[in-house]
Amino acid sequence: MTNQASSASTRKLLQNIAIASAIFAVILCVLIIVNFIQLKRADPLNSKVLTTLVERLHANQDDESLRQEIRELDLLARKAFFTNQWQVRMGGYLLFVSLLVIVICVKATDLMQKTLPDVPSADRRDFWHLRKINRLWVIYTGLFIVILSLLIVLLTHRELGKNLELAARGSSEKEPAAGTDLNTRTTPGTMPKGIAADSLKADSAGTQAPGNVLAGINPDGYPSLQEINGNFTSFRGPGGTGIAYQKNIPTSWDGKSGKNVRWKTEIPLPGYNSPIIWKDRVFLTGASETRREVYCIDLNSGKILWRKTVEKIPGSPAQEPKVISETGFSAPTMTTDGRRVYAIFANGDLIALDLEGNEIWTKNLGIPLNHYGHSSSLIMYRDLLIIQYDQRGSGSVMALAGKTGEVVWKTNRSVKISWASPVIIHTGKRTELILAADPMVASYNPADGKELWRINCIEGEVGPSVAYADGVVYAVNDFSKLSAIEIGDTPKLLWEDTDYLSDIPSPLATAKYLFVVTSYGALACYDAKTGTKYWEQELGTPTFASPVLAEGKVYLMDKKGVMHIFMADQKYTVVSESPLGEGSSCTPAFAEGKIIIRGNKHLFCIGK
Amino acid sequence: MKKNAVLLILILVLTIQLLNVYGVQRFPKPEFESGYVQPDTLQPDTRAELLAIMDIVVLTVALAVISWLVLKKRSRIGVFCTSVLSLVYFGFYREGCVCSIGAIQNITLAMFDENYVIPLTVIAFFVIPLIFTLFFGRTFCAGVCPFGAIQDLVSYKPQKLGTRLNAVLGLIPYLYLGLSILYAATGTDFIICRYDPFVGIFRFDASFGMFLFAGILLVSGIFIARPYCRFLCPYGVLLNFISRFSWRHMTITPAACIKCRLCEDSCPYDAIDMPVPGKNPEDRAITLRKLILICLLVPFFVLLGGYSTSRLHETLAGVNGKVHLAKSLLEPTTNNGQPETFEITAFKSSGKPVSQVFSEASAVIRQFYIGSWILGCFIGLVFGIILARQLIIAYQADYTPNKGTCFSCMRCVDYCPVTPEEVKS
Repeated sequence: MTNQASSASTRKLLQNIAIASAIFAVILCVLIIVNFIQLKRADPLNSKVLTTLVERLHANQDDESLRQEIRELDLLARKAFFTNQWQVRMGGYLLFVSLLVIVICVKATDLMQKTLPDVPSADRRDFWHLRKINRLWVIYTGLFIVILSLLIVLLTHRELGKNLELAARGSSEKEPAAGTDLNTRTTPGTMPKGIAADSLKADSAGTQAPGNVLAGINPDGYPSLQEINGNFTSFRGPGGTGIAYQKNIPTSWDGKSGKNVRWKTEIPLPGYNSPIIWKDRVFLTGASETRREVYCIDLNSGKILWRKTVEKIPGSPAQEPKVISETGFSAPTMTTDGRRVYAIFANGDLIALDLEGNEIWTKNLGIPLNHYGHSSSLIMYRDLLIIQYDQRGSGSVMALAGKTGEVVWKTNRSVKISWASPVIIHTGKRTELILAADPMVASYNPADGKELWRINCIEGEVGPSVAYADGVVYAVNDFSKLSAIEIGDTPKLLWEDTDYLSDIPSPLATAKYLFVVTSYGALACYDAKTGTKYWEQELGTPTFASPVLAEGKVYLMDKKGVMHIFMADQKYTVVSESPLGEGSSCTPAFAEGKIIIRGNKHLFCIGK
Repeated sequence: MKKNAVLLILILVLTIQLLNVYGVQRFPKPEFESGYVQPDTLQPDTRAELLAIMDIVVLTVALAVISWLVLKKRSRIGVFCTSVLSLVYFGFYREGCVCSIGAIQNITLAMFDENYVIPLTVIAFFVIPLIFTLFFGRTFCAGVCPFGAIQDLVSYKPQKLGTRLNAVLGLIPYLYLGLSILYAATGTDFIICRYDPFVGIFRFDASFGMFLFAGILLVSGIFIARPYCRFLCPYGVLLNFISRFSWRHMTITPAACIKCRLCEDSCPYDAIDMPVPGKNPEDRAITLRKLILICLLVPFFVLLGGYSTSRLHETLAGVNGKVHLAKSLLEPTTNNGQPETFEITAFKSSGKPVSQVFSEASAVIRQFYIGSWILGCFIGLVFGIILARQLIIAYQADYTPNKGTCFSCMRCVDYCPVTPEEVKS
């Protein structure tokens, strides 16, 4: 009896020890997890305070007290870090010991309290029924696994193997050095499956493509300045300065009634890029989240001569970047050198096609780290394709060989993200490539990418491209300022103004005047050299398109699709206001006697 | 004399420990300014050769002892004590490596990669338990495997899961085995080691994820006996198969079963085969039809498994280092806007041609294509066999341990009222 009582009290004691240990273990577990989370979050060497102090020390390196403060903080942070580590480890040991105590107590209690086994009740479920249920469960599990596998395949399948094989073949042909030019795929004389097969001759019935535009052209060459000015080769025309050299441009039309509308063609996919023109062909792009296309349209008939789906480009990301609706997936305007056309999309896909729509090369530059979506347009300098790629953390401008896509030069830029497009100017002494991005307007030699000059005069999320006329570059951005910069090896600010600041439309300059348009529809004219404001107007409609000068008149399209045409003069003289019949956000392109305007859905040819 | 002998043994043991000094990593790991963090190693420090041989000897002796305890002594206490000792030696002292479970991968890699030299210890740890199983059933699981031992230790109120859950969850080890072989054969990774829940506990350096995993297994192990052994262990698949052909296997009763039913609920692993009613069996014609159906369905399962898994080959290959690097090079922006990965930085400084990376990755993906067909066929076959097994009934009159799934833990023996002494008398 005494033995039984003693055994019972021992059991009780062991149970209590086990319970106490269990509570201790639970508390320890919580503490370890909390400590672990702290440890994960802590980065003693990169704490904000420390970084700020170090930056301050860089600015003032002789500050001994600051130096000492940094040392002490650093030591403190490290101590805290290693103490945390020690606590986690020690907690682990204690947890182990407490668990061991629980196990020992429980096992000992079990040994002291032998119980007789129960005989299960006889009414077990039918043996055959159980077997049947087992079979069904195994079948269901199998089906579940198969469906799950196929679902995973559906969600993750990306033809990785084929892409790698293609890339291996492509890169072994070019064999770039490790880390450079990784994603280029050149296909001289051949058309890869994915793209070539899709090279549709849309609406080909009864339509003969105009004569071979490549006939008699040296594919290795590049157009003369005269040829470039005779066409409309990039965003805002030749050089991107907003000046069109074409004549007999219509000044009045009505999209609804069809007055002076020569043709109107629906563009399959949306895009905010502007059309470009080479001879009798108009080129533009369209894209949705899942599809990217390049279109070639006959200038005379408006027929789509070919459309090319851009896909399966090595390195092209599986997921499209996030863009805002005002930018879309194909905001950058194409460019051409008369041999090939070039297009870039929001995901960094870059493609070069000949004028018949055959792929020459493709490349992916990596998703532009850009919270609105990439919008910087392409431009040509001789046979070099210039790309402004100012993205978060890695601003750069590069030139690719138009024929092969190889990087000819690349210049890194310490700038923030920019949505502006590059502009090429001819000063008389030299040709310069002008770029705008926070914090500077900078000039580069387009032949080798070397910086010629820079001036810090612009801030914020730069959208407008620069304007240029008569040795002066004009840069503007919203919440920043309008600056007139007299260029040269040591550029200087001629004047500044903060009244009319644009965040999307680019300014337009002539030797005498500067026209600034804001996206909310205000318009101002300045004296180009002094900054004196001649006049200001409210259009009453938001405006995203940039103004273009043609035959002494400024053509400015507002978002409702009304083209405001006024004289490039000291006084605001309206020539006409012509409605397109649908909204537009794109800058028009000009050909002899014609204007090509991209509306929200259609491409219009205005001509007499 | 006795005192001197103890002293001598102590000195000998301590001297042997000094051998480890020769084996350990003598240079500290470098620290990188770039912030690169050395990945956790899957293996503990190198072990001296003599100690490695000692491990093999200890394993063999432990298996011999436990087989004797199971088959001759029929002692649950003996099995329990051996398992505690094994836990201390193979678990905490040997830090869970080399283990027989992980050795599957070394053996596989050695078969597919001629440049891989497999250590003798690994072969021994893989083969010796299999040999013992062939002779004496799964005595390795009973008390030599440290993974089983630690789970057995925490098993307090084990509940029966029911045949349905057992049937479904019991499929996981086959999947795990197939995947680990695929990854090892392609030189991708040793996933059994990487996702080993207990090794972090043995080494006191578990990552948070693995600590959590182990915690879940051990806590659930209080109520579900040996969850890892039953529903994950890939080595268990091999042992299960071999044990079915074992020369001798533990029995619940030392003599004829008296069908007292006392042992019926004693096995926490549901590894006791109940007497199968011989009367009123399922209609023979129906059973035959089902059997024919299964025979036809097995090839279908094999093909379906092969096809659906082969579609996954690119996803499965994504884990491979070469494929991962090539993918990063092809899609450099998938790094969530962060600067380029360390892999790309390292690659750039290597001077290796890009085409080589792409070609190698492409070759790996082809290997995965073939491998995932084989894996899928294997899984399909397993399903087919399990279904067929549900139809083929071996009638039996006694309560017997299932030779495949029984861990020989000897719990049921304690429930049997028939004792060896009574048999002798």
